[in-house]
Amino acid sequence: MGKLTFSMGGIHPHDSKFARERAIEQLPLPPVVYVSMAQHLGAPAKPVVAVGDRVKVGQVIAEPGGFISAFIHSPASGTVKSVAPRKDLAGNPVVHVEIAVEGDEWEPSIDRSKQLVTAIPDDKAAILDRIKACGIVGLGGATFPTHVKLSPPPGKVAECLIINGSECEPYLTSDYRIMLESPKEIVVGAAIMQKVLGGCRCVIGIEENKPEAIRSMRAAVAELGYPGIAVQTLKKRYPQGGEKQLIDAVMRRQVGSGGLPIDVGAVVQNVGTALAVYDAVQKNMPLITNVLTVTGDRIPGNLQHNYRFRIGVPLSFVVEQAGGIPDTAAKIVSGGPMMGKAVSNLDATTVKGTSAVLYLSEAATRRRPETACIRCGHCADSCPMGLEPFLLNRLYKAADLEALEKHAAQDCIECGCCLYSCPAGVPLLDNIRQAKGQVMGVIRARAAAAKAAAEAAKK
Amino acid sequence: MDKKYIVSPSPHIHADTSTTTIMRDVIIALCPALLVSVLVYGWAELLVLAVSVASCVLLEWAVTKWLMKRPSTVGDLSAVVTGLLLAMNLPSAIPLWIVFIGAVVAICIAKLSFGGIGQNVFNPAITGRVFLLISFPAQMTDWMPTPGFITVPDAVSGATPLSALKEALKSGSSISEFLDANGYTAASMFWDIGASAGEISAGALLIGFVYLLVRRVVKPWIPLSILGTMALIAAVFHWLVNPELYTGPAFNLLTGGTFLGALFMATDYVTSPMSTWGGVIYGIGIGLIAMMIRYFGAYPEGMSFAILLMNCTVPLLNMWFHQKKYGRA
Amino acid sequence: MTQTIIWTVAILTVLGLLLALILFWVARRFRVEEDPRIDEVEKAMPGANCGGCGFAGCRAFADAAVKAPNLDNQYCPVGGDEVMQKVASILGLTVEKKAPQVAVVRCNGSCTARPRTNEYDGVRSCRVKAALYSGDTACSYGCVGCGDCVEACRFGALSMDPETGLPVVDEAKCTACGACAKACPKHIIELRNKGPRGMREFVSCVNRDKGPVARKACANACIGCGLCARTCQHGAITVTDNVSYIDFTKCKLCRECEAVCPSGAIHGVNFPKELDKEAVKKRIADRKAKAAAEAKKEVPNG
Repeated sequence: MGKLTFSMGGIHPHDSKFARERAIEQLPLPPVVYVSMAQHLGAPAKPVVAVGDRVKVGQVIAEPGGFISAFIHSPASGTVKSVAPRKDLAGNPVVHVEIAVEGDEWEPSIDRSKQLVTAIPDDKAAILDRIKACGIVGLGGATFPTHVKLSPPPGKVAECLIINGSECEPYLTSDYRIMLESPKEIVVGAAIMQKVLGGCRCVIGIEENKPEAIRSMRAAVAELGYPGIAVQTLKKRYPQGGEKQLIDAVMRRQVGSGGLPIDVGAVVQNVGTALAVYDAVQKNMPLITNVLTVTGDRIPGNLQHNYRFRIGVPLSFVVEQAGGIPDTAAKIVSGGPMMGKAVSNLDATTVKGTSAVLYLSEAATRRRPETACIRCGHCADSCPMGLEPFLLNRLYKAADLEALEKHAAQDCIECGCCLYSCPAGVPLLDNIRQAKGQVMGVIRARAAAAKAAAEAAKK
Repeated sequence: MDKKYIVSPSPHIHADTSTTTIMRDVIIALCPALLVSVLVYGWAELLVLAVSVASCVLLEWAVTKWLMKRPSTVGDLSAVVTGLLLAMNLPSAIPLWIVFIGAVVAICIAKLSFGGIGQNVFNPAITGRVFLLISFPAQMTDWMPTPGFITVPDAVSGATPLSALKEALKSGSSISEFLDANGYTAASMFWDIGASAGEISAGALLIGFVYLLVRRVVKPWIPLSILGTMALIAAVFHWLVNPELYTGPAFNLLTGGTFLGALFMATDYVTSPMSTWGGVIYGIGIGLIAMMIRYFGAYPEGMSFAILLMNCTVPLLNMWFHQKKYGRA
Repeated sequence: MTQTIIWTVAILTVLGLLLALILFWVARRFRVEEDPRIDEVEKAMPGANCGGCGFAGCRAFADAAVKAPNLDNQYCPVGGDEVMQKVASILGLTVEKKAPQVAVVRCNGSCTARPRTNEYDGVRSCRVKAALYSGDTACSYGCVGCGDCVEACRFGALSMDPETGLPVVDEAKCTACGACAKACPKHIIELRNKGPRGMREFVSCVNRDKGPVARKACANACIGCGLCARTCQHGAITVTDNVSYIDFTKCKLCRECEAVCPSGAIHGVNFPKELDKEAVKKRIADRKAKAAAEAKKEVPNG
């Protein structure tokens, strides 16, 4: 197989992976950690500790608040200082557990050795339980609870497990570093998930701009010899790592509107998730650390790092440890430059899905003033979902929900290609995101009404 | 945080392409053809170009500032492009005040009265040209060559090949007689057949267009469908109907405003459809209308009218043709 | 020449007559029978088509009014009682009177009181901005200042004050249709009773943060101290989630709350005289002293 890629749209921003040569360092522990209760997709977790409780590293401090939710574990040992609302990076209040760090005492059940464990447990249900109990969520950005994704609904069969190592967002290097530094663990993690899904084939997709990672992963796959795992080179193109795009690239199948990957027999997991699954199943290690990249444009090399951090360390502490905010920074982003969130509150804490702290200069990030749309069609050409952003933008302004739904505003994946490529600086995605929300609301209301009507008919 | 950092919705980085860079690329792409026309027609051509561009830019600046009272859009260079395209459609010997009137129609009526860049229904340069053609037919069809910096061996007569042909056909001569009498060959037509600046050299226009393709400013579907349609119709009429009454594909593609129209006017973002299939239909329509006017109409050339007519259909084409969407049939 | 003219006129006349006949026939054939009262009611309406009543426009309102058994669920905020009475009399129904209302902006975090902590660089839309984050100040609840309310208002009653960065309601133009309240993603605009001669008291803040946090974010914030609620003799004031609220149906416009508020979050408008805080405070103190004395007197007896 040659290099694969998805079939429509996409852009080619400069990859700017300046921190790629920086080996992963351990970020020290701050005096206080704040653990957010809403750091996964779905219902917020319910705290199970009270003020004054003593906790160990890896101890459960919150339970799932619904079917789609996740356990949360303490990233540090110490005393619970408060369980109260605190502002997240967007300034909105979210319940956090505040823990004053005292020493570094771990739950004894956690295996902290570096020893590679390749033997995979036989009991699938036990593996799933372990993944759930360890609070594993997708680390590719959406933080969807992994155990839910690994349990296909009845009647659906997984044909292909795709491990996403594309890391198509510019600047980010954390996935690249783990593929270089822990390739075997990732492969074992992939094999575990492959087993849970009933032994389907597994493809590890990596973009061509990371040849070292491709080599490293190929060597690990060959050495460990699990059946049915292959490394696939992908073309460099954003948003290759989008779930739907990756399925299109690897399997040549497209997920229908409103459908799930499993509908076409696909399950997509990030390399970071594979590593977390390995840690959980083989080492009984809950998801209390992750890797983030500290980088940016036009900043000195000594401010660029890849850190393994305890989830719950405040962003301000990360920034301080990394050498402070460079003077050139005009915007601080948590995550990648295409889909990350701008930070308005540096006191906010890191969460499971935090992948980067990015400093962007005025020149790189300032939006150009909005001018008239010249109907060049660049937005439509770059949309990986085949939508027409210029049209959706216009319909949103006209508040035409019916037409928005007809033109599939709800299919938008918010990848940012349209706004990135617009020569007139029209805030396409800003508006389409709103349109998508409104259309989704209409669709949900309709579904609820249909359900209610069906139930009424039954009675 | 003492410093006020920027907060905005994602994405946080943007492509370098802006409206200005796109217009700049179009200007660069027009340069080869401009060079040829200035070399052939000399100072007069240069003057027409200068007056046209200057009036377009000044008018846009003045109207946006004083009449519309909104930020000027002169900086995006679109008025320069309009000015150049308008001038390339005019004879070099045309009185300069007519050029100015063309600019008024193009900028004030065709562009700004619709709301400025991005809002206009009709291509401004073509609207200006057609207005002049109807209002000043004598001056607009007086193709007396002005003294150039170089002399072209197969000297251009006072009429464009297309209008000369129309005259010849009216007086009863056949097409082969006409071609022999004027010494037109495929090669001479490709590089230097005369008329207005924009029509002089299909080759120079093609070089510019390739630059636009390489820079990914335009896509080739619209020009391809126009040229393909024209070639097909010409082939059918020339070889199947009557070779002595209908000119062949090469003659039709290489004379008149075919290349300028197909490559630079029909591909104008604002007045062409957004989807690929819409563009193809649009192109076929232009090719069809242009050929019908050339073969059966009163005017020797129909490219401008064809584009204007198809401009009207763009909103409909945009409504009917859409991109293929992911995961949907 | 003459013949041409005659022919032209003749043909056009015949053509015109023919078309008129066709139009006449079509109009007869496809006529929709409608209750004539719908037209009558619509005529009585203000005709703003603002949607403030919850219907798509005045005609939709009229249509619903004619079909409904009573007018309990319908009210035209623009036309107010006058129009509702007219509508009721057309339909032979009755309506209860409603006090006229006005839109009130419950945020007074002006640029000076509420310093900016970051710079927003996205589309100028409150909805988009509020969906993204809490805003460019440390207050997570206040006005984000992009003017969605101004855009939503069909009566030109709202404008952004460039000085404070907050919307201002022109009471003369406001019809209390509620479009602005719906448009505001922060829910800071409320419809309140206009009050006698426009006089009213309200808490111009919705910040639910604890006192010190709110105070740090904005000098004019309600800090939820409860002084107003303790002072109020009419039980009109409640403090929930660290923010005070005045119930306009109970407020007697004594302005005592306004006088005691330590942060100036309580606003009184359209009062003929400026509030003499010291005098009111003295009045409260006197009353309290008197009450204390009475209590003392009563205790030995009781």
